[in-house]
Amino acid sequence: MGELAADKHVKYIISVEKKKDSFESVVMEHLRLNGAYWGLTTLDILGKLDAVDEEDVISWILKCQDESGGFAGNIGHDPHVLYTLSAVQVLALFDKVDILDADKRLDKINVDKAVEYIVSCKNLDGGFGCTPGGESHAGQIFCCVGALAIAGALHHVDKDLLGWWLCERQVKSGGLNGRPEKLPDVCYSWWVLSSLIMIDRVHWINKDKLVKFILDCQDMENGGISDRPDDAVDVFHTYFGVAGLSLLEYPGLKPIDPAYALPVDVVNRIFFSKK
Amino acid sequence: MSTSENSYSEAEALNLLAQLERILDLDPLIDEVGFIHPSQLATLKEEIGNSLSSEDKDHESTSFWIRDHKLGISTQILIPVYKAAKHAFISALRQYKTPGNFSGKSQDDTVAIEVMIHSKALLLLSCDFATAWNSRKLIVSNKQLLPILMDELRLSAVVLSHSPKSEQAWSHRRWVINMISRNCSTLQWIIERESELVEKIAEVLNELKQSRNWSGLHVADNSCFHYHRRLMIWNLEGFCHIQDNNSSGYFVETYQVWKEELDWNESLIKRYVGREALWLHRRFLSLYLIKHIATHLLGVSCQSKPKASVDIDIDSLMDHELCLVHSCSTTIPDANFEDFQAQAIHSAAYMLWLTKQIPEYQGINIQEKLQAGAGDLMRMLKRSCPDRSSLWDYLVGYHSEP
Repeated sequence: MGELAADKHVKYIISVEKKKDSFESVVMEHLRLNGAYWGLTTLDILGKLDAVDEEDVISWILKCQDESGGFAGNIGHDPHVLYTLSAVQVLALFDKVDILDADKRLDKINVDKAVEYIVSCKNLDGGFGCTPGGESHAGQIFCCVGALAIAGALHHVDKDLLGWWLCERQVKSGGLNGRPEKLPDVCYSWWVLSSLIMIDRVHWINKDKLVKFILDCQDMENGGISDRPDDAVDVFHTYFGVAGLSLLEYPGLKPIDPAYALPVDVVNRIFFSKK
Repeated sequence: MSTSENSYSEAEALNLLAQLERILDLDPLIDEVGFIHPSQLATLKEEIGNSLSSEDKDHESTSFWIRDHKLGISTQILIPVYKAAKHAFISALRQYKTPGNFSGKSQDDTVAIEVMIHSKALLLLSCDFATAWNSRKLIVSNKQLLPILMDELRLSAVVLSHSPKSEQAWSHRRWVINMISRNCSTLQWIIERESELVEKIAEVLNELKQSRNWSGLHVADNSCFHYHRRLMIWNLEGFCHIQDNNSSGYFVETYQVWKEELDWNESLIKRYVGREALWLHRRFLSLYLIKHIATHLLGVSCQSKPKASVDIDIDSLMDHELCLVHSCSTTIPDANFEDFQAQAIHSAAYMLWLTKQIPEYQGINIQEKLQAGAGDLMRMLKRSCPDRSSLWDYLVGYHSEP
């Protein structure tokens, strides 16, 4: 089996942060905060978060905050819950969540109603769509199962039925796809895998073959991981590949929480510091 | 990409933006936009020519191409035009949002128009630039006039012509239709137009028949079978709401619809060997047909009504399925035929899945029938699909329970 080229991936992530010249990166500047989360969490899993300047990152993030308290994807853009999540996650990596004037806790949300809505998105094959009646998709399943896990409501999931659907995402090459008949993609190594772990059915796939698939998606020369072998790399897939390997207990990586998608020590730090 | 994109000065970029915006203004019926490599653009110009006026400067004729309401933009200028559009948009938006700087309504309108012009150019280049969509919603919601709302539908349709998966564009369309429905009686017309872009169900059975033609040509498209499942459920729900004194006839009709779908599915399974989506669709069809027949038969016997004229026998349904699975799961000795191996795996998994999902009904025990053949299927699966051996082992345990 190949090896994880950790140093190359670190170099790749740092270089992406600096290079902003291609049309593709320019038209993604509105979601740069998501990119920060993907890149920085990968660095933390690889034990190299100190490769970036913490002050720089945090001061930029704070500039993305809107007077409503929410965060935008980049400076000058409108706030959105997706980027707010990324902002909180990145601050958590640096143990700086307390700089937020935050008074938002789980008890302020109507958890029962949220769970009810998620359950209404459940399909006959055991999976979840993005709205009631929507086709089952691994990404949606991760969001729903993760949310139910956080809300302590996993009993709503038919674990055998969903586990079966999820393990059928593994194709011959060992990679995972997002729904039937699609090609495998490294990012599903996260979404399918973390879902399987949360419902305790991960032994229904071949973990070794999945590790090999992820390693095959690396660019061994320039660093970074792509969606499938020999394609162009990007930060998004680099993050999900490394996170997937962490879930598969690949040596040398920090363990990651399947529901919160943050390193376990970061999550523990937050919970232990709660009043 | 060509490196000469870096050679555009700020003034040149602004000029390009002005040209783009002029083109968009001159032809409000543009329905498609694409990005073209400069060499391809040159070829297009030579072959067909373009309908820009003779006042064009050199730059414009090498950067844009337009004909029959289709606009092509050279990939070479994308970055400078994007930057110019974004800069113009942000400063116009900032001006629009700053309160109390205007002396009269006309100035307000001028700035609003600026925001709309620049956001349009920006969104054609970066369709998920949410802030731009938001600004249009803000301005449009202050006016709420039908022509303006129709413009929004047109813009989102153009964006979707090159980015059909753009969540922002779809979301904007839903928002606009919502706005229209609050105010205008032309909603019916809008909905009819909308179905040119998205298939809408006029009548469930009709739709089912029509979409079978499409599905038959796209058997690896899981989404279309998901759509079928939704149609089938609606059909079933329709039946469940029928009043009792008519239930016999409607039951027969509903049963026929499901049988037809199963037969159609089987013909595809035999023609397109080893297609996962077809077998997954069959799981759903068989399970629900059996569940609902059983429910209905129970209902009928309780109410002592005359039996339906069609002789519906769950036993014979299951026999048929077992036969089908058996014919598909006998692998060809040459294991190099991937399709046939896939067919064997999918059919065996289908039967085991069904076995696990079918609950036991009063007086009807299908389990015994299925368990007779289950051992063989599982042995075959463990051999040809070892990646999931933990799942097959689990099912062995399940099957051996009393």
